[in-house]
Order: sequence, then structure tokens, then C-alpha cells
Amino acid sequence: MELKVCHLYPEVLNLYGDRGNIRCLTKRLAWRGIDCRVDTMKIGEKRNLADYDLFFIGGGQDFEQEVLLADLKSGKDKEITAAIEDGKTFLCICGGYQMMGHYYETYEGVKCEFLGAVDFYTVGGKERMIDNYAFTCTDSAGGSTVVGYENHSGQTFLGSGVEPLGKVLRGCGNNGKDGTEGCHYKNVFGSYSHGPVLPKNPAFADFLLTTALKRKYGSADLAPLSDDFENTAHESVLKKVLSDQVR
Amino acid sequence: MSKPNVFQTILSVAACKAARGLMRLRGSGGTALPGKAAMVFARNILERTSDGMEIIVVTGTNGKTTTCRMLEHALTSSGKECLANKSGANLLSGVTAEITCNATWTGKPKTHYAVIECDEGALHQVVPLIHPKVIVVTNLFRDQLDRYGEITHTRDAIRKGIKLVPDAKIVLNADDSLVASLAEDIPNAVIWYGCNVPLGEQKDAEISDAKYCLHCGTAYTYRWHTYAHLGAFECPKCGYRRQDPDAAVTKVTKSGADGTGFVLGLLDKKTGELKEHDVFVGLPAPYNMYNALAAITGGLCFGLSLSEIVPSLADVHSSFGRMETFDLGGKRVQMILVKNPTGCNQAMGYVKSIDEDFNLVFALNDRTADGHDISWIWDADHEMIADDPHVKQIYVTGDRAEDMQLRLKYADFDTKKITLVKDQTELLSKIKESTLPVFMLPNYTSMLSLRKLLSDATGGEDFWKG
Repeated sequence: MELKVCHLYPEVLNLYGDRGNIRCLTKRLAWRGIDCRVDTMKIGEKRNLADYDLFFIGGGQDFEQEVLLADLKSGKDKEITAAIEDGKTFLCICGGYQMMGHYYETYEGVKCEFLGAVDFYTVGGKERMIDNYAFTCTDSAGGSTVVGYENHSGQTFLGSGVEPLGKVLRGCGNNGKDGTEGCHYKNVFGSYSHGPVLPKNPAFADFLLTTALKRKYGSADLAPLSDDFENTAHESVLKKVLSDQVR
Repeated sequence: MSKPNVFQTILSVAACKAARGLMRLRGSGGTALPGKAAMVFARNILERTSDGMEIIVVTGTNGKTTTCRMLEHALTSSGKECLANKSGANLLSGVTAEITCNATWTGKPKTHYAVIECDEGALHQVVPLIHPKVIVVTNLFRDQLDRYGEITHTRDAIRKGIKLVPDAKIVLNADDSLVASLAEDIPNAVIWYGCNVPLGEQKDAEISDAKYCLHCGTAYTYRWHTYAHLGAFECPKCGYRRQDPDAAVTKVTKSGADGTGFVLGLLDKKTGELKEHDVFVGLPAPYNMYNALAAITGGLCFGLSLSEIVPSLADVHSSFGRMETFDLGGKRVQMILVKNPTGCNQAMGYVKSIDEDFNLVFALNDRTADGHDISWIWDADHEMIADDPHVKQIYVTGDRAEDMQLRLKYADFDTKKITLVKDQTELLSKIKESTLPVFMLPNYTSMLSLRKLLSDATGGEDFWKG
């Protein structure tokens, strides 16, 4: 078995340790004897996206995103949308998550058109939502509890036909209002969780791998791993988030 | 805001001194509270208590403390008594405390010179009150993004401060594309320093902090690299490029564990040529060469002569957790502060160059002074020392020791070598069990507690007495 992973725009969308997600996916496959190839698609590069099983896109700094949008509009937007409709697995974090929606309207009212691959939109808020947080994934997204670090001023609102990734336990999530966090559409999983999210949420990481492997091979049984350090880190952050230590 | 009157001044100075006195009686080295106490009675007391002083300010992500220590050493060794906020009290309250506690009861400064380390975000609050003669900016790396959101916000915060003091000379790192952009849109005189030769093996592709032109978004090309995103950058599209420095490293003559030698070239404005001088700094690693260059350039702008600065650099050693060495019963314990990926990679590069067996300590806290977001540990390349056969035992400690431990697992460290020790007293006894030397890589507040522990164990002094 082999999974082919495509890391989208790693040179721009590379804030807050998100590259740790790629590290996590490859290690968890390698420990189970499953091959994994990671390619990157940078600005100006061409890849046949149909060749890949799992896509990762992270968060970035605003001033670099304009460069990226121009590159997306060169035709890659259609390829990404096609891959999504084809049931490929996507993990999209923060800025990369926002980019899957229709648009981002800044607090000052400037509207920036995004991919529109998933039915949601984001508006800039006055206050940044920053802190450790936790949410529980919906059953269709594996049902595990996820801990992470959110840092965004954009407030995301989901449209019809798009499920949230989960329900916020502590923190703000999508918009700080409706208790939802992230999005789940077909096999696209969007979240505000930096941290990076996957290493200390091994159940969520394995759910993504299972989703991608099932899409490719029809079934997937991932052998259990020891996950001692993973669970220790998960528990310690969850305890911190649920206790009074939250700032 | 008008300056405080005599009555407010006396109350404010008294509050500051009393708060500090009380805190020290209780054995605390806290520096923010005395400043806050002073500001209760006169919010801008700092303007009064710094009035008439000659002040040089150092800001930037990395190297502030070391650069300040170099400047302070140059001043004192040339017989100029100076004040310095040496314990990292670099926000408005800390600077207020340092300067106000040093004033007379009527608010007059007792010392003429000061070297002030200032947090990037606090610069615009501090400098309009102390009217510095010179502001040195070291570099801009990703650091505590949870405070500032984005690195360009940090740059903009610095610019906001600079604009408030148009008479101050601004000393900028020409090799840092983010720092260099500060020169645009400010009325101040700008002096540049930089490295005219490549250092290390950095490649274009490995840059992460500032890969694209700030003005037009095109990827920079580099004629040479020094480290991280520093080097001779140039935008092939809009032409934004590195300035030729007024003070430059033209050759590296020595790079060893005990220090760094280089040739300094100073621009002669009449001939346009660089006049060369030999410099030796008693600290290892390229980033300390940059710190020395920043200190020299800043010192010259401040009015010091080359002969007052350069000799003193040879006996600048560690400063407060930056490459500081402790003797723990004959065992060498070296502490290297790491607070962001760039600094962490450099510290690990140094550790990797050590040719003997040793134990490692990673300490990670997530308190306000550290930044609550610790995800940067995944942007550092711990992989580079994962298979170093000299690494025998690894201890992880701190509020986020569990995250640190996980990071090391995914960097391919042998997990059997890793021990999680939350209690630092227990950590100390574990270190003592082994005869091997120890390298500690803590972030800021974990450095403070480890340093206190080591100082107590080795009979050292509390930092605020140092």
C-alpha cells in the first residue's frame, strides 16, 4: 500500500509548525509499513493533482496570500475543486481552510474571492481569537476529541450542506458564536487548529489516513500504535484547556 | 502628556523604590511591578527620570540582550558609567522601573548613559519618553506570533516607535529584508551594518521567514546567504535589494567554541572604500558576530570610538542564559536560550559541533513572556541532532514538556533515551547522577527557573544582583 501526499504551497502557508502534520502522517504510515510519498506544489509549479490521495494546506501570513491567489486562479482552483469532488482527502488548516470557502471579507470591508470549493465564507473580526482550545469531532468525522491552538481573526460561517468538523468544548472555533469548529464536506476536513494538530491527536490523524486509504483501496485497517507520547501530550493539553488555567 | 510635577515625581519615585525594596526583601527579582507602582502616581514618570540622559536602545527579535551586554561592557570598560535593564525587563513597566529606581528622590537621573533593551511591541511606548540618541534593530524572525499576529506587524510596530523620535539615529541590519524595509518612510538618519561574505550552507529553498518580496511578492534571489533569511537579497522584479552597509564583516578569521574573529570594514565616505580592522568576540556562532557588528555600529553612532568598543568585545562572554556556563560539581552545564526556530536551530547546530558525549535538556514553558503558542517547536529542525551519537540522555521539562517530548519522537530521537521530568529539583538530581556535561535548551521563563536552580546549586548570584 502507498499513499501519495501533496503538500500545497508549503513555502507560503507554513506558519505555526503546521509542517508537523506532514511529518506526523508520514511517520504514522511508516511505522505501519505503509509507503508514503510526499510531493510539494509551490507557487508556479504544475502537478497532476489526480495522482494524489491526500492533500495538506496550512496557514500563512496575509501579505503573502495575494501571490498565492494569483497562482490558484491560473487553473489550479479547478483542479483542486475536481479533486475534492472526486472524494480525495484534504486537511486544510487556518488560512488554508479559509481559502476553500467562497470569500474572506476583511474587517475594513475589503472582499477577497477564494476557491469556493466548499460552501462557507469568512469575515474579519475585530478581536483575534487566540488560545489553546478543544473540540469534539462529529461522528462522521471520527468522533475523537481534538486539542490545538487557534489564532485567527476571521469568523467562518458554514453554508447548507456543509457539516462542521466538530463542536467546540473550550475556545472559539469557527466564529466564537455558534459553537462549531471547522468544516467537513465530502473528505475535506478544515480546521483552525494549529499546534500542529495531528501529532497530539493521533485518533484524528489515523481517521484521515483511514479515509484516504479507504478511498484508494476500498478498505483500510490500520494497526494500532503505542501512542504513549501522543496520548500524554493530548491529555496534558486537554487538561490545561478544560481547567482554570485557560487564559 | 505633560511631564509630572514635583509632587507627582516624588510620590512616583518613592513608590518605585519601595516596591522594588519590598520585592527584594521577599526574594523576588520581579521588575514589572515597581514600574507599574511608579506609573500609578505619574504615568509618564520615565520622561522625567530619563531627562538629560544619553540612551541607546536595542530592539529586534533575537540578540537584543547580547548586543546590549556588549554595548554596556564597552561603555563601562571605557570608564563611562551606564545603566542597563539587564534582566530582560524590556517592556514599558520594566524600563520605567530600571530608570526610575536609579533616579534621585526628585526624579533626576544619577547616571548619564543607558543601554536599554526594548521589546519590539513596546518600542512606541518607551522611546517617546526616553528620547534615545540611537536605536539599533537586530533582526526580525518569527517569534511569539500570538502576540503580534504576523511578522510584518512586528516590523510596523517598530516603525511606529522610530517615527516618534525623528532625531534618533537608526542602525539597521542590511541583510534582513524585513528590517531593511524599516528605512522606508521614516525621517531618521539610517546607518547600515551587514555581512559582505557568505556564512554556512544556507540555500534559497530553506528560507521560511521572508521568502517573498515585501513590495511585489516575487521570490528574492540571493547573491549570498549568511543564516536564516539574512543575506544579500534582491528582488528580481521590483529591484528591492540589500543596501551596501556602512559597517561590514568582510572576512571571518576564526570560528571556534571560545569565540569568533572577523575583519570589520568601515566605510570611508570620502573614498567610498572600506577601512579594515580586526575584531575578536569572546562568543561562538555567526549570530554573535552579527550581535557584535550591531554593537560596534550602534556604539560608533552613540559616540564611542572603535578603540573603546573593539577591545572590550574580546572579553564579553555569556549573558544571562545565552551560552552561559555553570560548574556543577566539576560538571559543565551550558545553557542556551532558545525561543524561536531560528535560535533553536543555531543552538542545535552548536551542540552538534561538540565532539564529546553529553546529555541534553529541553525545557519548554508557555507563559506570557514565552508566548502561549508553542507550535514553533515543529518549525525547528530537531531532526539534525536526532542521530548524534554523542547525545546520551535527553530530559524534557517545563509546562509543555509533553509537547516537547512528542516533537522529539517525531524527529526520530530514540525514545528510550528520553525522560520526562516535570519537577526541576528532580531534574537537577538526575543531571548530577551522570558525569557527562549537559547542554540545556530552555525557552525564556523555563530558563529563568533553571538558572535559579543552577545558581542556587552552584552558589551563584540572583540575576538582579548580577
